Amino acid sequence: MSENKLKQMTVFFAIWLVVGLLLGMAFKEQTRIRTAELPSARLPDLARAYVQEKRSNAALEEEIRQLRQRINELENAFASGTKQAQVLNQSLQEAKMIAGLLEVEGPGIELTLQDSKKRPSGESPELLPELYTIHDYDLLRVVNELRQAGAEAISINGQRIVSTTGIRCTGPVVFVNDVKMASPFVVLAIGDPKTLVGALEMPGGALADLKSVDPKMVQIRRLDTVRIPAYSGSTQFRYARPIMTEGEQTP
Amino acid sequence: MIAVGFVGLLLGVVIASLLLDIPLPEEWAAYLSLAALAGLDTAFGGWRAALEGRFHADVFVSGFIVNALLAAMLAYLGDRIGVDLFLAAVVTLGGRMFLNLSLIRRYYLNQLALRRQRG
Repeated sequence: MSENKLKQMTVFFAIWLVVGLLLGMAFKEQTRIRTAELPSARLPDLARAYVQEKRSNAALEEEIRQLRQRINELENAFASGTKQAQVLNQSLQEAKMIAGLLEVEGPGIELTLQDSKKRPSGESPELLPELYTIHDYDLLRVVNELRQAGAEAISINGQRIVSTTGIRCTGPVVFVNDVKMASPFVVLAIGDPKTLVGALEMPGGALADLKSVDPKMVQIRRLDTVRIPAYSGSTQFRYARPIMTEGEQTP
Repeated sequence: MIAVGFVGLLLGVVIASLLLDIPLPEEWAAYLSLAALAGLDTAFGGWRAALEGRFHADVFVSGFIVNALLAAMLAYLGDRIGVDLFLAAVVTLGGRMFLNLSLIRRYYLNQLALRRQRG
């Protein structure tokens, strides 16, 4: 075998080797993309992970509740000391009350909103199916109306409405405080029951549209005592920082 | 010589799929495939040239590198300006591969016929 022939063979081998490498890499890459697009094989895993996350979420929320309760106890114990501490604690509890971090009770109402069992009937096909379900905007209008009527605390399905609460539809569910929920929605509010009911039943008000579609979608009860849970979500501020005027100290 | 080529191909595929684990961005996958196609085309071209006794290592190597890069670059350019230029590369390379393979097939059939005549 001549030297030239050997060189040719080496080149030939090298090129085919590189072609093989390229092909192998391309094949692997395409397989990876295809499997990434079809996660159906991993669905059981995902479902299991989801259930686990949900469970640990519930456990953590319970822990938050207990810890906050413990903080309250400690604050009260601390306050029993000096006069100064008592004053401090009082204003602290007031601030927490406003922020919705305390469980509260008092007279109020219970409003239940649920999807209608009626379906769009033949004689009125222009009434879209959307009208028969409760949406985020219904809840938003109700919350707004209740606040306007002097409600001091509001919750939807056990989620306390605070200043950072968002209420939004995502597909068939509504997120309140990042917690998923669906019909029926039980809205609790503390305030003067008469004023609250009056505000809700105002002609052309928040519930008028729902009632005109199906009166059964709306139920209002006046209650002597309503218990509304504390806000259990995050109270961390990631972006906002308080601005300190002179004389004050950073916390 | 051809056997040497196939050993190389097989070795390359094995190394790439078992040993190498280079994480590539997904957008590159299409260009990689196209470069592989261009490489395959050149390799078949080299095979045919070898059978016809016209094999030149320098032409072969430069053709391989330039074709692979050109195909990938054309596809990239096509993506940028919104024209499916990679189709041009696929059609050209695919057509040429079929042509080369048919010539290779003919060569071996001729060889077979010649051997029969002698035998």
